[in-house]
Amino acid sequence: MMRRALLPALLLLLAACDSAPEIAFADASITLPDDPVDLPEGPGREAVIENCTACHSPSTMLQQPKVSREKWESIVGKMRKLYKAPVDEAAAAQVVDYMVAVQARPEAAR
Amino acid sequence: MNDPRLSRRALIAGAGTAALAAPALASIGAKLGGMIDLALPGGPSLRPTTPAFPGKGEMIVQRIRPPLLEAPMEVFREGIITPNDRMFVRWNWQMPTEVKAAGHRVAVGGAVKNAVSLTLSDITAAGETVEVIAINQCAGNGRGLSEPRVTGTQWGNGAMGCAKWTGVRLKDVLAKAGLAAGGSRVRFAGLDVPLTDGAPQFIKSIPMDIAMRDDVLVAWGMNDEPLSILHGFPLRIVVPGWFSTYWVKMLSTIEVLTGEDDSYYVADSYRIPAQPITPEAKDFPTVAITAMPPRAFITSHADGATVALGKPLMLEGIAMGGDAALERVDLVGKGWEIPCDLGPDEGGPYAFRRWSVNLPQVAGDFDGIGVRARNVNGAVQPAALVWNPSGYARNVIERITLRAQ
Repeated sequence: MMRRALLPALLLLLAACDSAPEIAFADASITLPDDPVDLPEGPGREAVIENCTACHSPSTMLQQPKVSREKWESIVGKMRKLYKAPVDEAAAAQVVDYMVAVQARPEAAR
Repeated sequence: MNDPRLSRRALIAGAGTAALAAPALASIGAKLGGMIDLALPGGPSLRPTTPAFPGKGEMIVQRIRPPLLEAPMEVFREGIITPNDRMFVRWNWQMPTEVKAAGHRVAVGGAVKNAVSLTLSDITAAGETVEVIAINQCAGNGRGLSEPRVTGTQWGNGAMGCAKWTGVRLKDVLAKAGLAAGGSRVRFAGLDVPLTDGAPQFIKSIPMDIAMRDDVLVAWGMNDEPLSILHGFPLRIVVPGWFSTYWVKMLSTIEVLTGEDDSYYVADSYRIPAQPITPEAKDFPTVAITAMPPRAFITSHADGATVALGKPLMLEGIAMGGDAALERVDLVGKGWEIPCDLGPDEGGPYAFRRWSVNLPQVAGDFDGIGVRARNVNGAVQPAALVWNPSGYARNVIERITLRAQ
C-alpha cells in the first residue's frame, strides 16, 4: 500500500510514496460492440454506406440536429479536404442529398 | 491489422452491407438496451443506452465507432467520485483494441537533451507516485443543449466525471530526457490514428508552465484500477482544471516544442470566439479552449419532477469550480436567489463538491430554477448561454421546473 502524505500547502490532494511502487501492467484487449443500426431508405443511401460508415456509425448520423443543405455541403467538404476522406464529387452530392432528405422527415420516421 | 490506415477499397469493405430494411432511430434502443431522452431542443433527442461496452455499465450511446459514451445524470446523484464503469468515453479516432504492456513505449523527444524511448517501468519509476482527484470533462459537454443547435457530438451534460488519478508528474518524465533551451509547449500523441492517409492525427499540446505543474500527470491509475482500453490504457495525461481534450489517452509520444503549435487540433479546432459572437458571424478571432469554467447541477430532481405542496423540500446536487476551487453555489429562480450549503471538501479544488439547500415550505411550482456556481477567482456561471459555433465550454445555469401538488 502507498503511504499517503497530504500536501495542504498546495491545496491539492496529492499523495506521495517513499519509494517507487511495483506497478504491474497486464496486457489489455477488448471487443467492441457493432452498431446495430441500418440507415433508413433515401436518395444516396448507398453512397453514404460506401463513403461514410467506415468512420461514422449510422446512429451518429441520424442523431445530428437538423441543419441546412449548405451546412451539410460544408461538412462533407470538410471530410474530403481536411480529413482526406476518399469521396468523389458525385458521391459527395449524393451524401448531402441523403442527409437533407432524412432530416426532412419527422424524427419518428428516420 | 498492422496499418490502420485504409484505402478507399478497404473503407468500403469495412462498412459491410447494410440490409435494405429501414428501422427508425427509435428502434436502436430495442437492439442495444434501453432508450433515454436527453431533452435536446428540437431533437433528435432519444439515445440508446447499453451496458454492452467492455468494463462499462449502462451508458448513453452517442457513437458506436469510435466510441462516444455518455453518463446518465443519475450517476451524479451520490458522492463526488464517478465509478469507472460510468465515466464518459470519448475517442476522436479509432483506438487499438489490444495493447501489449511489455511492448509499449513512450517516445520523449523534440527540444530535449537526449531523446528517449521509455517502457512502462521507466515511466512508473520516473518519480514519486502522485494521486490527484480531478474532473475529466469533454470540451463539448452539453453541446446538444445549444440553441441554436450546432453539429458535432450531441452530448447532454454527462460527458464529465470525477476520478482519482494515479501516476507520475509529467515534469519527472520530461526530466528523463532533459529539457533543452527554448521549450515552449509539450505535445502529446497516442495510439489512436486516423483511418485515412493525410488526415490530422489527434495530437494536443499544453504550455510549458502548465506542463511543469506538480499535479499534471502521466497517469496509469483511475480510481485505484489500471486504466482500461476505453479510458486510455496504459497511460494518459491528466491536466486538472483543464478540459479533457488535453488528457491524451494511450500516450505514446511526448514532444517538446519551441514555438507555437500549428497542428490542427490546437490551431484550428477546439477553439472558441475570442469575444462573444452571434450565430451569423463569420471570420472572427478565436482562442483555444483550455481551463474549465464553474458549473453546477441539480441531481436530486429531474426536470418536470413533482414535489409535495406545503411540505419542506431539500434540493441536492454537485458543483465544480473549474480551474479553481468552488467558492459558493446559489439556487436561483426568477428574481430570487438562495445560498446553498456546500458539502465537505472531499476531493480538493478540481473535484466535484456536493451542495444542498433546504426550502422550508413548497408554496407552488418552481419554474426554471437552477444552481449557479462561483469559484474563488470570481468566475461565475452566466444566466444566458454564451453561444459558440462548436458548442464548447457550456456553463450557462442549467434550469429545471418542479411541479407542486
